[in-house]
Amino acid sequence: MTTPQLQQVCLQWFKKLKQYLIVKILLSLLLAYIAILTSSVVQAQSKAKQSSYDLMSAENKALQDNLDMNPAAFWLLDGQALWTQPSGPKSLSCASCHGDAERSMKGVAASFPKIRSRRLTTLEEQIEICRTERQGLVRAGHESKVSLALSTYVASQSKGLPIHIDDSPAMRAQIDEGAKLFNKRIGQLNLSCAQCHDERAGLKLGGSVIPQAHPSGYPIYRLEWQSVGSLERRLRNCMIGVRSEPFPYDSDELKQLEAFLMWRAEGMILESPAVRP
Amino acid sequence: MTTRRQFVGVIAATGLLPLSDALATPDDAKAAIDKIVGSSFVKTGKVKLDIPPLVENGNLVAMKVSVDSPMTAIDFVKVIHIIAQGNPLPNIISFYLTNRSGRATIQSRIRLSESQRVVAIAQMSDGSFYQGFADTLVTLSACTEV
Amino acid sequence: MANTSRTLVTMPREAKKGEVIDIKVIVQHDMESGFRRTEQGGLIPRDIIRSFTCTYGGSEIFRAELHPGTGANPMIVFSTIATESGTLEFKWVGDNDYSSVATSVLTVV
Repeated sequence: MTTPQLQQVCLQWFKKLKQYLIVKILLSLLLAYIAILTSSVVQAQSKAKQSSYDLMSAENKALQDNLDMNPAAFWLLDGQALWTQPSGPKSLSCASCHGDAERSMKGVAASFPKIRSRRLTTLEEQIEICRTERQGLVRAGHESKVSLALSTYVASQSKGLPIHIDDSPAMRAQIDEGAKLFNKRIGQLNLSCAQCHDERAGLKLGGSVIPQAHPSGYPIYRLEWQSVGSLERRLRNCMIGVRSEPFPYDSDELKQLEAFLMWRAEGMILESPAVRP
Repeated sequence: MTTRRQFVGVIAATGLLPLSDALATPDDAKAAIDKIVGSSFVKTGKVKLDIPPLVENGNLVAMKVSVDSPMTAIDFVKVIHIIAQGNPLPNIISFYLTNRSGRATIQSRIRLSESQRVVAIAQMSDGSFYQGFADTLVTLSACTEV
Repeated sequence: MANTSRTLVTMPREAKKGEVIDIKVIVQHDMESGFRRTEQGGLIPRDIIRSFTCTYGGSEIFRAELHPGTGANPMIVFSTIATESGTLEFKWVGDNDYSSVATSVLTVV
């Protein structure tokens, strides 16, 4: 072969090599991208729902598990007593309509909040409706002893059952509103619920692990409160935590957030009454 | 990491202000112990105080105290005092046992306002004093009401 | 109306003579320490259980002195030797004339 011919052959060879390498590199990048995509999808699917029970110390878990140590047991006993106590002008008790709570209230707490008379209703609100409209009593009031005793007693009848709320179109509209609120930045700290509890769940904030924030044990005995309290109280605490004016009790916003959170916790086992730090 | 710790520390301090006007010092704890033992010498040993080394919330802390004693009719633990070095008041709880107690092991739940040393002082039936202690780190819950 | 609240006693109903049994008691009480403040800044007055006593067949077998540093809804686990069948009486006394009593019968075989 002559030198020019050799040069030509070499040039063509290098051209082909260049083309081959470019294709190979592009293909590798494409495969890598697909791998990352699928792995994150798999990760998202396999990032199982985790109750904040798992994040507690052994001592606090024992507190929740043993009813002879769980302070919420007192609210449970108060609720049990109230259930059969005739009250009001018609001398009716919860049992007068609902009979044995162990039978009639089974699964109820795991299905709230729900649409009742075209209004999004929480379990606490439903108890108030029963007391005012059926028993002719005055409202017990949010976080009152009576309200918490009854909601603890009713919720405990769903202990061990999976959370499942209605997904009718009307309910979906409420859940979507709740989703918007969950993703909205609020407060002086300008944080949304999602930023901590979706994006950073499992990471640490000042030594504590950030929970996924599922309402799987309400009403809870919160060590911080030294009392049993509702999900609405806890959500208001969250808002104060990011230095935001908290939504008032019984506001549409809190109910919609509750609806969204319960939808998000679909399938999780109810632990009520839980203990949390 | 240091900045975050400082931040949490500041929040913890502001969280504590509503809880107490004056935190006890180790001197207050010492005074409380002196009141219990008088001029007697307190030996270290025999007393085991179990408190979780890391506490998620100081409002309800599991506590277990065990004293190595045969607990017979004539050789038993009379009292166990729990003293906190960092709470507003040093005296936390005192347990009075008898020679019918069988075991000198008591469990209870206490309040700890901050990371501190907690001391358990046991007085035996022969009048002697023994002590044990536990050091603990107390953290604050996330997103509180105040 | 009497200042009293719920109590829970957990202990065996039956024991062998000479056996050491564990007794767990828990009482419903906020144990207001006297150091907390209202949102307006005023001090919430102290309101705690001061003492707990347990008698067995009439004799005191255990006593505790509670201070504000005791956790809310106080729980105590203590023990006693099962000597003879009898009634155990548990009494909690505190501020503002607080008083709660519970009993439990132990059969010793």
